[in-house]
Amino acid sequence: MADKEEKRYSSGVIRISKLATIVFIALVVMADIGGYFIAKYVTYCWIEKFDIMSLVLTTVVFYVATVCGYVVLFSVYKLLSNMEKDIVFDVCNTRLMGYITMGLIAAGIACACETFTWPGAIFLSVVAWFIALIVLCVKTAFDKAIAMKDEMDLTI
Amino acid sequence: MIVVNLDVMMARRKMSSGELASRIGITQANLSILKNQKAKAVRFSTLNDICKALDCQPGDILEYREDEEE
Repeated sequence: MADKEEKRYSSGVIRISKLATIVFIALVVMADIGGYFIAKYVTYCWIEKFDIMSLVLTTVVFYVATVCGYVVLFSVYKLLSNMEKDIVFDVCNTRLMGYITMGLIAAGIACACETFTWPGAIFLSVVAWFIALIVLCVKTAFDKAIAMKDEMDLTI
Repeated sequence: MIVVNLDVMMARRKMSSGELASRIGITQANLSILKNQKAKAVRFSTLNDICKALDCQPGDILEYREDEEE
């Protein structure tokens, strides 16, 4: 009975997480569509830099970050789908976590480039790299768990 | 590395994989894993059952060989 409740709870959590991921993907799509205007607003109104180079840099960084965002979010969605199918400690999941890590690191690097225009962007980089570190730790734990599972499965 | 010489003992006792698997209570798939050197570990209880079924000693089934890398 407790098992059934636990299963229902975890599948509920996964479903909500997938929904949240879809919402984030929709936001990134909207950001992509209005990317130039958002970058223009950020450059002129927030950073208050009126040269063309700042606008170009901010726009490029913005679009690179959205690409990284797609990689991360689609990987998260695939990871959640796998977990819904009870595929947890599997090599495909650790590969997805690798993609998430690389996406976050790339987003961090993109934000670091933005510091030429807006020094405050370094904080975004640090946050992205910190989350990448956490995902990397979880990936390492999953790798160990897969090795232990293989050992258990191949114990006769 | 530890080599499992189950085939040799099974041939001596003229026992098939299916018969041995059912006698020791494991699936044929698991027995195949053992025979093909893919197993990572063997429980003492399983080893006990194998030796009982094949009327042999653990040393008749398990052999230590130097790894080529070592």
